[in-house]
Amino acid sequence: MIENPWLHGLVLGLVVVAVVMGVAAFSIWYERKFAGLLQNRPGPTEVGPWGLGQLIADAIKLLQKEQIVPAAADRPLFLLAPLLVLTAALVPLAVIPWGPGLVGADLHVGVLFALAASSLMLFPVWMAGWASNNKYALLGGMRSVAQGISYEIPLLLSATVPIVLAQSFRLGDIVAAQEGLRWFALWPPGPGTLAFGLFMATALAEANRIPFDIPEAESELVAGVTVEYTGMNFGMFYLAEYLHTFIASALGAALFLGGWDMGPLGAGLHWMVLKTLVLFAGIFWVRWSLLRLRSDQLMELCWRWLVPGSLLLVMAAALWVHLT
Amino acid sequence: MGAWLAFGLIAVVLLGAAAMVVTSRDLVRGVLWLAVALLTTAVAYVVLHADFLAAAQVLLYTGGVVTLMLFAVMLTRRLSGARVLVERGQGGARGPVVAVLLFALLATTLLRAPPLVSGSVAMPADTQALGALILTDLVLPFELLGVLLLAAMVGAIVLARTDGPPRKIPRLPSRLPPERQP
Repeated sequence: MIENPWLHGLVLGLVVVAVVMGVAAFSIWYERKFAGLLQNRPGPTEVGPWGLGQLIADAIKLLQKEQIVPAAADRPLFLLAPLLVLTAALVPLAVIPWGPGLVGADLHVGVLFALAASSLMLFPVWMAGWASNNKYALLGGMRSVAQGISYEIPLLLSATVPIVLAQSFRLGDIVAAQEGLRWFALWPPGPGTLAFGLFMATALAEANRIPFDIPEAESELVAGVTVEYTGMNFGMFYLAEYLHTFIASALGAALFLGGWDMGPLGAGLHWMVLKTLVLFAGIFWVRWSLLRLRSDQLMELCWRWLVPGSLLLVMAAALWVHLT
Repeated sequence: MGAWLAFGLIAVVLLGAAAMVVTSRDLVRGVLWLAVALLTTAVAYVVLHADFLAAAQVLLYTGGVVTLMLFAVMLTRRLSGARVLVERGQGGARGPVVAVLLFALLATTLLRAPPLVSGSVAMPADTQALGALILTDLVLPFELLGVLLLAAMVGAIVLARTDGPPRKIPRLPSRLPPERQP
């Protein structure tokens, strides 16, 4: 790679951000097609072959629209929120290892950094809800903070399992510890597999996706925090949601599925991308298969099952490391 | 030189944000400025090569404490209408006195502590050693903190619970009654 660490980080960072933004945007088309397939309807078809141009048309439409700031809104906070949401969504990309040496910053507290940065997404979402001065938006913001702060605990604890197994916070070390197909999702069979399921489920909750999407439940809250946003301000929230989901998939692939390594089939960027995309598609599948949980069911699931369960998993992982 | 520049930048942002926290009339703005101040503290930790501390700072203080404050704000007012304004001039001289005493306490403690290693020494940020230290030499304060948090939790439950039988959350039937099934 490039010798100068500053230049290396800058170039890699720009490339990764550009590619991931493109993928996240493109995935909106993919999700709509996928949903159509599951629901026996065609999805977008009109613009371009297979409706591929739909995304570009949507982007141009969003960019052209007027930015409306409600008269009763808190103007600076209202305009700042979408920018901060997108920024917070992009920050964890810095530590995700795409291949051997292909990482923006291989921090020795990488996992913690990624999770801490993505937990910061809650603020701008809440800010948007508050600044809109709209009951639906505020309720959406409140729900998203309540859900986020609850589900962060099992998310962190389930991410602790690979940390304990690999005995390192560094994502590069965690991937290296799974070399030769010894994925933490498969081995050790108990805690690793369950922690993988728990991580993906809580990541869904953090990203406000079905079955955990009460913050923007369209049947009761219209569109949650984004209800007052128009044009590209709304587009930024939308893009941030997809980015967050994509990054959660990438983290899941690195933490539990061996990252860039594929045992006898070699190692490289393509395996990491493939694993991430498979997890990403799995999240869409869940979205179009499950129903939305009610608010109280959501909290009960988190505090009575996921939090104690993830604590047990961490203990089991520690015991495994101690015994082997 | 670089370290001083970073320190100066952090100090300006941190002090500015902290000043905004106490002078802001709007409670929500105050809480958001506090988030800025706490994030800047995390940046200061990074400059001091305490990466783990920085991540923990963001997770616990910015992610946890400030979120709880936002919650408190939401629970103290109706869900729409005017801003929450901070009442002024209620505490008299108590606030400044506590602030000065706290500053004096922190300053004397820091002055007595061994001087920080100057320059850009790449300290081996050893999270494993930190964990081992907490579970061996520092286990008593660690456990005391646990007891403190437990006491706070029990206190919160005692304050929040009402007398009488617990309120049942109505459960929806898992399927529609037979006469309503299509």
